[in-house]
Amino acid sequence: MKRMTTLAGAVLLTTALVTLTGCVETAGTSVLTDHVTGSSLVLEDSTRLRDQIQVLKVNYDEVNGLKRVHITLQSTKHRRLRLNYRIVWFDANGMEIDPATKTYRNLILEGRDAVTVTGVANSPACVTSKLRVRDLETAD
Amino acid sequence: MKKTFWLMTSVAVAALWLTGCASTPRVREVELDRAPISSKLEPQDVRRTVEKMAESLLSAPGVREAVGGTRPVLDVEPLKNRTTQHVDMVSITDSLRMQLLRSGMFRFVDKSTSGTDIEFMDAQANLGLTDQKKAIRPGQQSAAQMYLTGALSEIKTQVGRTVDQYYKFSMTLKDLRSGELVWADEQEIRKESVKPRVGF
Repeated sequence: MKRMTTLAGAVLLTTALVTLTGCVETAGTSVLTDHVTGSSLVLEDSTRLRDQIQVLKVNYDEVNGLKRVHITLQSTKHRRLRLNYRIVWFDANGMEIDPATKTYRNLILEGRDAVTVTGVANSPACVTSKLRVRDLETAD
Repeated sequence: MKKTFWLMTSVAVAALWLTGCASTPRVREVELDRAPISSKLEPQDVRRTVEKMAESLLSAPGVREAVGGTRPVLDVEPLKNRTTQHVDMVSITDSLRMQLLRSGMFRFVDKSTSGTDIEFMDAQANLGLTDQKKAIRPGQQSAAQMYLTGALSEIKTQVGRTVDQYYKFSMTLKDLRSGELVWADEQEIRKESVKPRVGF
């Protein structure tokens, strides 16, 4: 019995140490918008982020021949959230266009507030957009 | 009791060893848009600014009116650095030019390489190596119809251990013929860092 208690203690200690030394979930929430058909798909891959924000509205239009998307995000928490978001674009064949030029931007969302983020396509060839939201803590 | 102590200690040491403990510096590649590590201007701030400015310019109604279906010739002047930090403003200008070039809305000239153009033309005309029928003669280059210019400024405030740093990128697009400002925008960045109570 004493040996079992010791073993259980050792396992618990090991688990605690491994947990403390880092294991961060980097999945986030994504919104895929097809600007030709107008369809949108919301993917909530992070359970933590799913409990913090929700996608309220997706709108799209065109300016100077370039596609533009507006996505409204709402906080479900009462505290301030620090997030990162990035909007990337794809051509008709599903190839990502100039991914390096589209950066993660900061988004500070106050408690229960809603914010609309906007992204403009890099070129007239872009037809599909993808918004990705992540927790700032996962950004290294 | 002594046995249990040694078992617990060895498990703890093994767990720490497995999760990494090295005396040499740990080097790894990090993503370009990492979280801020100082209150200074960092690469991710520059990248965000360039992206925001390019998106703003390309979607501005005034620009569409000025461009009017043509592809005007644009020159991008290096931004002025009004901060106390060393920031490679030419690199920022290059990144912005690249993003605008890829949109296909403008054609570009680069005044900063005119000296090299003259050297090439001079060599083609005078060294005797080039077929003179194919040599490029001066006086045929496109003229810039618009130019993009701007500045980076900062305000730094320090209260106790807290440093508050504010940066502002401002840019304008000017029509050379009319002298009118076709577009202007700015990007503001504000960062705060708190020095530790104890440190070297």
